[in-house]
Amino acid sequence: MEIFTALAGVLTNPILMLWVLAAAIIGMIVGAIPGLTASAAIAMLLPLTFYMEPLSALAFLYVIGKSGRYGGSIAAILFNTPGTAASAATQIDGYPLAQKGMASKAMKVATLSSVIGDFIGEVLLIFGVGLIAAIALSLGPPELFTIYFAAFVVISSVIGKSIIRGLASAALGVLIKMIGIDPISSEERFTFGNFDMTNGISLVPLMIGIFVLGEVFSQLEVRKNKIKIINKIDSKDNAINRLSWIDFKPCIPHIIRSSFIGSFIGVLPGMGSSIAAFVAYGEGKRRAKNMNEWGSGALEGVAAPEAANNAVSGPSMAPLLTLGIPGSTIGAILVGVFLIHGIPIGPTLFITSRELVFNLFACGLIGIALYGLIGYFCASFLGRFITKIPRDVLYPIIFLTSFIAAYASRGSLFDVFVMAVAGLAGWLMKKYDFNPAAFIISFVLAGGAEETLRQSLLLSDNGLLIFVTRPVALGFLCIAFFALFIRMRSLTHQTRKSNFNDV
Amino acid sequence: MDPRFSTKNLSQGFVIGIVLTTFGIAILIASFQIDKDPGGGWGARIFPIFGSIALLMVGILELRFGLRDTQARPDYIPSNILVLFGLAIGYIFLIGKIGYLLSTGLVAPMVFLVFGVRNLIGLFVSAVLCPVAYHLIFFELLGVFPPYGKWFDLLSVIQGN
Repeated sequence: MEIFTALAGVLTNPILMLWVLAAAIIGMIVGAIPGLTASAAIAMLLPLTFYMEPLSALAFLYVIGKSGRYGGSIAAILFNTPGTAASAATQIDGYPLAQKGMASKAMKVATLSSVIGDFIGEVLLIFGVGLIAAIALSLGPPELFTIYFAAFVVISSVIGKSIIRGLASAALGVLIKMIGIDPISSEERFTFGNFDMTNGISLVPLMIGIFVLGEVFSQLEVRKNKIKIINKIDSKDNAINRLSWIDFKPCIPHIIRSSFIGSFIGVLPGMGSSIAAFVAYGEGKRRAKNMNEWGSGALEGVAAPEAANNAVSGPSMAPLLTLGIPGSTIGAILVGVFLIHGIPIGPTLFITSRELVFNLFACGLIGIALYGLIGYFCASFLGRFITKIPRDVLYPIIFLTSFIAAYASRGSLFDVFVMAVAGLAGWLMKKYDFNPAAFIISFVLAGGAEETLRQSLLLSDNGLLIFVTRPVALGFLCIAFFALFIRMRSLTHQTRKSNFNDV
Repeated sequence: MDPRFSTKNLSQGFVIGIVLTTFGIAILIASFQIDKDPGGGWGARIFPIFGSIALLMVGILELRFGLRDTQARPDYIPSNILVLFGLAIGYIFLIGKIGYLLSTGLVAPMVFLVFGVRNLIGLFVSAVLCPVAYHLIFFELLGVFPPYGKWFDLLSVIQGN
């Protein structure tokens, strides 16, 4: 019932509706520009939200995340370059469809699939999150620490090509968080006598550096690689681009299945939409009647990954809202917004700010409808608009904006310096297969993990056995090591297979 | 000398392993400098110690795998990236010394140049438009307190402070 009250409240608030509409448009544009991601846009726009009402700020960034995931499909279909990592699977069938002059039809299927997937994910979040929060309230510090530990291990080992470099990224994120004054004992850590460092490293400049400036460096490196653009976005024959019920009907089972796959993967911290999209694509192809058409322009091959990558969006908020554990980089950024506006996240959020949470869900639902409407009717126009943006003008503007955005967060030039160094570090991380997402998420998790570890040690009189003598804590430790083992096995299997193919 | 250790033959993994291990050792040493709790407990040093041990361990693993790997060579940072990073650091220095307006007016055309813009009028427009636009949005509209220059500040001159 609360969601209907929240929906009515949001729909009758014109200012909030304007922010949601702006977010739907900005997210789509940013997602559709190859190289720019929703995370980068959110990180850059984060300082602007300091001056907004908490709900407007959260809704604005949350909806950018949703529409950004969808916007990536436009670039994947038109430019054969995924706008976001989550759209890489869409490209497999989307681009061949565009080559056949069916770009509009492919984009309509992508829009409908994204909207259905996102709605299913959001509804599951709304009905499931309260239950998870109730369970989370009964957990003590040892259980919470092992959940953090499992999140560190899963996030750093699952994403990316190298487990070792993923774990190194997580360890670096934790250690960077340790800089400054210890909140419990007021002891200085790694400050080396520098006054600026006693305040610690702020999340905002770090994120702007890693996701925005790092991307500017990457784009400068590949500046000479021109994006291949389809000459004819739409075929002159309008009939070929009209999406009929007969065309769409075979996509529906794939959309429903992929939405549930995406929702399940979304709840797991760090798994992300790109993994969901590829799993859904693989599963869809395995079950498809027209398996041979997949890869050469099947509409179902667009529907499955698009439904899955957008279905991730809602459920990925569940660990954030219930445990304070961000499941994605967008979640990590939202942690910053919650904290900046003085809203404590975790299981108590549903007691202290229940209305705000349901209003946020309502904004999410409205945002989905808005980007769906805009996307269905204007995606082709947006595609043409994106091709007109000169990259040699866009990226210098982003470069300059990142400096003022980093400064605006605390009015400190030290933060701008942190952002610049993080930018180079972010570029190096991407270049050498480190994991920037694991680095940022670990940075966000480290504070809570340290607090629960020290509380647990106080409870056990400095004994580490407390983590194995409590069944729930032991269960999460087992999950962490099991996930690591499975990932190591799959990588070893892949290496053996590629060695075998080389021979 | 073992040919594996020749600088020409070093693999990417080996170099990354060396860097991670060195960082791990340095941070571990720094972690032990953090005082214990007055009661003798681990206190504020426990998490940094765990983090640095984790980094040290993955560094050693990377080093081990890097020694076996003879394929991936570490490549150099492209000069245009170094130029842009240098501009970034120089920009921060200039903001602190000559204020936001002037430093942005100087750096904006240089950044456009690095990205391949050669149109003189365009570069001139960027030198004027960028500082003015950012100033209006962030310092006037959002009310962020602007960074003033220590040596000279154009904004102070304009505002007559």
